[in-house]
Amino acid sequence: MARVVLALDKVQHRHQLPAPRWFKPWAKRSGPGIVKLSLDLHEGSILGLVGPNGAGKTTLLRLMAGILPLQQGAVSGRFRGETLHPVEDLRPWVGHMPEQVRWQGHQSVVQALTELADMRNVPIKRVLSLVKLVGLSDRSEEVLNNLSQGMRQRLSIAAALLGSPKVLLLDEPFNGLDPVAARAFTDLVKTLASKGVSVVISSHMVGHLNGLIDRVALLHQGQLLDEGPLGEVERRLGLAGRYRAAGTGSLSEDLLQHPDIEVLEHHAEGQAWELTFRGPASTLMVNLMEAAVHVERWGPVEPDLVEWLCAATGMEVDDISLNVQAPSMVPLATVEVGEDE
Amino acid sequence: MSDGARMWRMARRIRNERLLSVRLKIMVPILLLFIPGMAWGFADPNILLPGGHRPDTAMEILFYASLGVVFGATMCAVLLAFDGVSKDRASGMLELRLAQPMPRTQQADALVLGFLQAIVLPVLVLMVLSIGLVGWRTGLWTTALESAVYIIATSLILLWYVLFALLASTAAREQGTAVAFGVGVWFLFTFLWALFTTMVAYASGVAVGEANDPAWIALEGRLDLLSPNGVYHHLLETQLPTVDRGIPSWQVWLAALGWTVLPWWWLRRRMNDLVP
Repeated sequence: MARVVLALDKVQHRHQLPAPRWFKPWAKRSGPGIVKLSLDLHEGSILGLVGPNGAGKTTLLRLMAGILPLQQGAVSGRFRGETLHPVEDLRPWVGHMPEQVRWQGHQSVVQALTELADMRNVPIKRVLSLVKLVGLSDRSEEVLNNLSQGMRQRLSIAAALLGSPKVLLLDEPFNGLDPVAARAFTDLVKTLASKGVSVVISSHMVGHLNGLIDRVALLHQGQLLDEGPLGEVERRLGLAGRYRAAGTGSLSEDLLQHPDIEVLEHHAEGQAWELTFRGPASTLMVNLMEAAVHVERWGPVEPDLVEWLCAATGMEVDDISLNVQAPSMVPLATVEVGEDE
Repeated sequence: MSDGARMWRMARRIRNERLLSVRLKIMVPILLLFIPGMAWGFADPNILLPGGHRPDTAMEILFYASLGVVFGATMCAVLLAFDGVSKDRASGMLELRLAQPMPRTQQADALVLGFLQAIVLPVLVLMVLSIGLVGWRTGLWTTALESAVYIIATSLILLWYVLFALLASTAAREQGTAVAFGVGVWFLFTFLWALFTTMVAYASGVAVGEANDPAWIALEGRLDLLSPNGVYHHLLETQLPTVDRGIPSWQVWLAALGWTVLPWWWLRRRMNDLVP
């Protein structure tokens, strides 16, 4: 396994919320955030940070970027054989792309990037090459107020890449990108990772990350529920090896009763049916072909965040969505993640 | 690029952006009216001030005209800098800036210097114009020392209001709060301070508003050290030999130093702890 470049050891940051009292109007209390989270980031890896709204993805990225102070725990980085401890010392090595930056004003694209480049001692040559890299070279002199949402997102990507970071933190980078730009962005991230850049991408859509990330961290209510390669996490949650098929024709019970096949869901309406199952896909396919059933769709079940959360927390969907709204932390760490099955 | 050069570059960018802003263009007529306009008025050879007094030196005329700085220029400083941080916070730019390796204290310094230059430069031009207008209308000219004190004192009061506005901007989560706080502080020191002084005088048993009562003059002089506008007038009074409110010059300059260092230090501290 590649070496660890960024290590988070029981880090904690809980947002301080106003809780005014009669004699202490400035009083605050701890609200949601990140609670005692440990995570290693490996060189050249692409880590997907997934979780529902309010899970703490943005807070965790801000902690890694050295924007938020650590209340507990430690973050250490290892770059060029040097171990850096105070989180502020990591900033030159870390590129951060916030979830939404409303680039506005009468500055041009190049001027706006140059301003940030100056804060990193990055030469103008690098700025121009990044403008080209994100596909904004035709718009390099365009005023920020005139940029579309997608162009602003591209500009944010360029800003994160200033200074050639060793760790790239991307908060919901697919927001506002058209499919072509999203594909180009995915290729760019893969290229950077192949050059040794460690990437963390947060998203509440696991599907977006499929095929891009090589590790996933599942976050809920500020706590890490599971982390590892996508397939491993799915297996640990009992969600691996699932297939979905749909078609028309008579689907008898005998056809589905095979010792190696576990039917998870079966919907039928007239002649149309849809089947979700776990087991050797080829076995069921042969059975269906022999029974002369018409199969229209067939494939593995895509990872789904809701299913993952339900499996990891043992909660129902409604409970999870309600808990996201709750301002206080629920000690999810007491909920056991499924054992390898 | 050295740290200092990087900070000045950022300050220059902020200055240029604000100097070309629509906001400043709107404020220029106000500044024209309040700074050279007042100097023109007080430089009238036939002017008769309350009590039958006529100003007899150029510095005295500029001292009276400094009301324009207190009312107009300080308000412009607040209106220019009130969203120095809160606007970036709302747009997400603050998060990007805070993620950069440039120390946050330097970012704070760049903000202060950038906004200060944006208001001081036009005011300086108008102040030089005022000195010229007074000289042209009355034939009285300020000495080099008087001009220097006038310019330094005015730059300092603008710095203080820029610092207050930026402090408010770091605390405010949205623009309305930032502008309310900045204008509130301006209102307190520009209008309400007289009420505060009166109340303290009344509580201390000093006859209120008796211009020739030494007790009132001394109390007002001391309380003025607690207000940026008061310190500004104290600084200008150091060049008026006929005015003596019992406050030694070193105390006035010490108060000026306090009004400069403390809010600046507080702003740097706030920037260090700032969260997007």
